[in-house]
Amino acid sequence: MGRAHDTKQEGWVRMKEVFIGKENLRRLIERWAKDHRVYVPVTFDIMNNEDTPDYELVGDEVPEKLHLAGAALALPAKSFIFYPREVVANYPSSEADADVTAPPTVIVGPRGCDVRGLAKFDKVYWSTAHFTEEYDDPFVIEKRKNTYIVSVDCTAAKETCFCTMVGGEPFAKNGFDVNLSPIDTGFILTVGSEKGETLMAGADDLVADVQQNHTDERERRRNSVKEAIDRQNAEFAVDVAYDKHELEGSADAWAYVTQNCVACGACNRTCPTCTCFLLVDQRAKGGYERSRNWDTCLSIGYARTGGGGNSRPDLPQRLDNRIRCKYEYSRDRYGLVTCTGCGRCIDVCMGRIDMREAVKHIVTEKAKA
Amino acid sequence: MKNLYRPIESVIEDIREETANIKTYRFRPKEPITFEAGQFVELTVPGVGEAPFTPSSNPNVTDTMEITIMEVGSVTDALAKMKVGDTVGIRGPYGEGYNLKDFEGRDILIVGGGVGLAPLRSLILALFDDIDKYKRISIRYGARSPADIVYLDLLPDWEKMKNTEVQLTIDEPHPDWTGTVGVVTVLLEDLAFVTTVDVDQLPLDTSNAIACVCGPPIMLKFVNMALLDKGFKPENIYHSMERNMSCGLGKCGHCMLGEYYICKDGPVLTAAQIAKFEDPF
Repeated sequence: MGRAHDTKQEGWVRMKEVFIGKENLRRLIERWAKDHRVYVPVTFDIMNNEDTPDYELVGDEVPEKLHLAGAALALPAKSFIFYPREVVANYPSSEADADVTAPPTVIVGPRGCDVRGLAKFDKVYWSTAHFTEEYDDPFVIEKRKNTYIVSVDCTAAKETCFCTMVGGEPFAKNGFDVNLSPIDTGFILTVGSEKGETLMAGADDLVADVQQNHTDERERRRNSVKEAIDRQNAEFAVDVAYDKHELEGSADAWAYVTQNCVACGACNRTCPTCTCFLLVDQRAKGGYERSRNWDTCLSIGYARTGGGGNSRPDLPQRLDNRIRCKYEYSRDRYGLVTCTGCGRCIDVCMGRIDMREAVKHIVTEKAKA
Repeated sequence: MKNLYRPIESVIEDIREETANIKTYRFRPKEPITFEAGQFVELTVPGVGEAPFTPSSNPNVTDTMEITIMEVGSVTDALAKMKVGDTVGIRGPYGEGYNLKDFEGRDILIVGGGVGLAPLRSLILALFDDIDKYKRISIRYGARSPADIVYLDLLPDWEKMKNTEVQLTIDEPHPDWTGTVGVVTVLLEDLAFVTTVDVDQLPLDTSNAIACVCGPPIMLKFVNMALLDKGFKPENIYHSMERNMSCGLGKCGHCMLGEYYICKDGPVLTAAQIAKFEDPF
């Protein structure tokens, strides 16, 4: 690697930064694809919308329309380490138990919100201060270990983006293996971990030193996106800090927030920090298999117990639980506010429920009471 | 690495009918499963699914495990159709057991409603194994009707235990019943210790006593109010929380109550832990 430009951001690990041109980035991705599965963001023509970005698996060639601009993609990065459906056990046979292995995979394109969201998975599925090793989930951990996160700075904000309201920024500060900051002539490439260093091994011929004008341009771009997000969210501002919320609103206040909810669960599925699942057993070759499936806490059966008991029978109670899980319960349990402000729950809501409006309504009504 | 989600094969060794829709099953797991009173397991009916249960047997017996189960849903209905010799799956144990060390030297009040006496039985048997460590044990149990009383054949033996009393009530008057009538809270109005065995009959020392409660959510709510009213300290009242513990591992989210995962922090929580919730039951 070229002479590294060291940075140290607020006490995090020393990161190495280099410049890489657009063509050389394609070559780098090509090299990664030789011994990794590599997913890159590409624009598709979906329902006459020409520039819809989504991830594509790199085959023999790196796709033409790499999309390393704009804001977060619809698919949250969690999808790569926590599959929508996955067999986690076979029984009673002990020989053919569920496969935990995960192939080395590079994901190019997660944004700051995605990367911050992965921290929740580490808390829930990997040993933490709260969970001892025996609770480690090998299915998520193996994928996490073998997945390389190549994050990309946002170069624009969707109108639903609000990361700066919840302690985030439109780029990843840590938690990535490699980060790409788009600038006019190419990218500033930051190595953020040992895994990132292995990805960059032998790539010296593709990179160059970072110049002062590169970093100046990056700061300008980052600040302009941050300012745009701040600006578009001014109307949602409340007097309570994002990590100090106590949203125990009145039943009326929550009923108001919930009025257009149909419990479809789209918000759960696109949320980068929704970790919940349902176990389903069924017949399979040689016996039975148990699969783990993404679940939604908005469904009426979610908290139902045998005999029909239900601690959250009403939809407003369930949306209350979902939103407070993000702001309060995860904070109180894991020290992590798990709304990353990605705005996906707003993008996909057919009832046009807006997380920012919901929080503002509850806080405002509470202040009146 | 041991697979967290895979159950241990367990053979049904015995089935005992308790009531019309409640049976006690004795399972023999292929690998011994040890648990502490208060912990729970996930029981798999092959191909149907899993449900959480607290064992009803003595935690000090490790080669077999008894669970008393009411038919209330898909897993328990399918289980009710199974026979001696059939195989189910068990994984666990999960959650925190009762801190029995903390119970020593104190009066212990056990309040059960309906099939809620089943999980309490493993606690009762564990207490009986070290009966001298505890001051007195008062078991107060309510069932809907005489036909709904579980462990009817075991209750006389419990009553004969040293420093132990058993009081029963049924919800509605019944021609075969001469005892107390009313929901279980009627047994909490007078906390005098009324065992036939000759021990001190002073009322339970509520300022220091432990209460362990299990039953339907509505019962927990009213028992909780009654016990606090009688002077029990919130940190000494243990409630078995009725939640949908699906994975048992603190991950799937189904049993969440605020920041608690009932499967990890429970299944038994103290009244002090749940005091901040408007309706935790």
